[in-house]
Amino acid sequence: MSESTPARPSPGQREMMFCHECHDEWYRDERGIICPECGSEFTEVIEDGNDPRDNDMYGHGPGFDYDDDDDDSLPALEEAGPHGVLRDHNPFRAADDDDPEEADISQMPQFQNTRIQNTGPGRYHFSATIHQTIPYPGPASAQAGNGANPVGGITSFLSNLITNAGMLRQQQAEAGDGQGGSAPRSGPDDAPHVHRFAYSSGAHLHPRDGDNPGPRLEPVDGLNNVLSELFAAFGDPNTANMFPPGAAPGGPPGQTFGGRPMDPFMGLFAALSSGQHGDFVTSQEAMDRIVSQLMEQTATSNAPGPASQADIDALHRKKITRDMLGDDGNADCSICMDAVAPEEEVTELPCKHWFHHQCVSAWLKEHDTCPHCRKGITKTDGDAPKDTSAGAPAATSSADPTTNMPGAFGVAGEGTSSNPFVVPGSSPPGPAQDTSSSAQQARSSAHDAAPANNHANAPERRGWWP
Amino acid sequence: MSASAKKRIMREYTECMKDTPAGMKINFDEQNMTKWEVLMDGPEGSVYAGGHFKLEIIFPNEYPFKPPVVSFRTKIYHPNVSNDDKGSMCLGLLRPDEWKPPNKVVAVLRLIQSLMVEPNIDDAIEPSIGNEYKENRKEFEKSAKDWVKRYAK
Repeated sequence: MSESTPARPSPGQREMMFCHECHDEWYRDERGIICPECGSEFTEVIEDGNDPRDNDMYGHGPGFDYDDDDDDSLPALEEAGPHGVLRDHNPFRAADDDDPEEADISQMPQFQNTRIQNTGPGRYHFSATIHQTIPYPGPASAQAGNGANPVGGITSFLSNLITNAGMLRQQQAEAGDGQGGSAPRSGPDDAPHVHRFAYSSGAHLHPRDGDNPGPRLEPVDGLNNVLSELFAAFGDPNTANMFPPGAAPGGPPGQTFGGRPMDPFMGLFAALSSGQHGDFVTSQEAMDRIVSQLMEQTATSNAPGPASQADIDALHRKKITRDMLGDDGNADCSICMDAVAPEEEVTELPCKHWFHHQCVSAWLKEHDTCPHCRKGITKTDGDAPKDTSAGAPAATSSADPTTNMPGAFGVAGEGTSSNPFVVPGSSPPGPAQDTSSSAQQARSSAHDAAPANNHANAPERRGWWP
Repeated sequence: MSASAKKRIMREYTECMKDTPAGMKINFDEQNMTKWEVLMDGPEGSVYAGGHFKLEIIFPNEYPFKPPVVSFRTKIYHPNVSNDDKGSMCLGLLRPDEWKPPNKVVAVLRLIQSLMVEPNIDDAIEPSIGNEYKENRKEFEKSAKDWVKRYAK
């Protein structure tokens, strides 16, 4: 895309000619100054600092020559939309009107006139014409496309993209030049589009010329170069001309895309990749964001899943007894913070924390953990060894991981079977500290090495833990 | 939002009013109780002393089963507060996978106060500020105080 492109013969070596009519290039010393291809006299010598090809570029990345061939008529990327002419070229056109299902087929781009030519020293020119018939997105056709078959969604998405591109171009199309011209579309009818995609590789797939050594070139283009060419072909035809002649419209392909905000294909990419054009970052901050995003995703997947309804239903229900209440005779469910009355029925988890059944089941349906100590209610074989983290030996508040967190507060005493309360009207940490030792004991006794029948067994286990 | 969630938020507010942690003022709109506005003074002795910070606490519909969302509406130079227009915090008990229903807003507010005294570097949402705190405390304090003067007066 810039004059320094190695694929271009340095004008200092041999004079290159360029035809403005057909964009052909040739060596002046071989074929003179009149275009050998089309006979035009509207030609120019390619010089350093005055490269007429820049005016005809379409935003390719470095390493490209743009060669266009005259006999294909339409200046590339111009919208060529005269209905009558192209209608005949499209074999599926006739079916469009009456069969909506067929529309999906005819919407698929068809590459025609695919040609690979050897043009000039060491360059190959690949060109293809894409014919497409795109119904304007009326409600009827959209439904027809999306309706019955699953492929419809994708094809209609693609065709929407291309239609949008076409509309863009439609707005930008001036009175067309060349024999194709562009017919302003009127009304929501089916309008054929032609996108012309020309890819000229700078690849030198032949032995280097010993008599005329040029700079060494990469034999094969990078895929992104090819893609950028393709994007350019679908992109804004005026982009190329946005760059003033002489100024180097260079830079990495990415920047080129940045200048073309409406490019529908970039929109597609953005849609597919959530706005990121690739798995790369350029700053530490962005890297950190990605890492933390990954960690969050992982954390979520590591979190315990919901408890089964059967397990929830099987939880032990018991009536509030006097010893479950605080010194002042009050206690509340730590989820809804409603006070509980004596004789009220609550649900006790294997870890001895109790809650209103309704409250705790809402939580357990999302997470198989005790809302307080995170011990699961589902009985698994691995329960016993895991108990050490949540159970008695670690029950001192300093060893409880949650209370180690900055700003963690004294929940140690709340909601355990012996200290299940917050006393209304007093400062929460007060009672928690007062009863923390008994809370630890209660937790100790609640420790539950073999969870089966733990409620029945729990009292017998008192004393296992000093 | 369920009635029980509203009830719980109401209760928490009542509790907060009875025993508001020092250096805090809570603005509560009964019409929209899911959004609290908290005015928090920079804790004495911290680099934020003298600053007044506006925080927003948004209660999700699933509260208390999901954590409240806390954000600084006043810009603050702090490793645990995102340095953008959101001023969001996500750490410790505010993290969705660490949140437990028995946790209370008061605890959240206390957590924030303690973080203003001592940031949690291992959990920094702004790693560059966290690094500076670790490796160039003077520079960190200078910026933090500077921001207090600029934004939190």
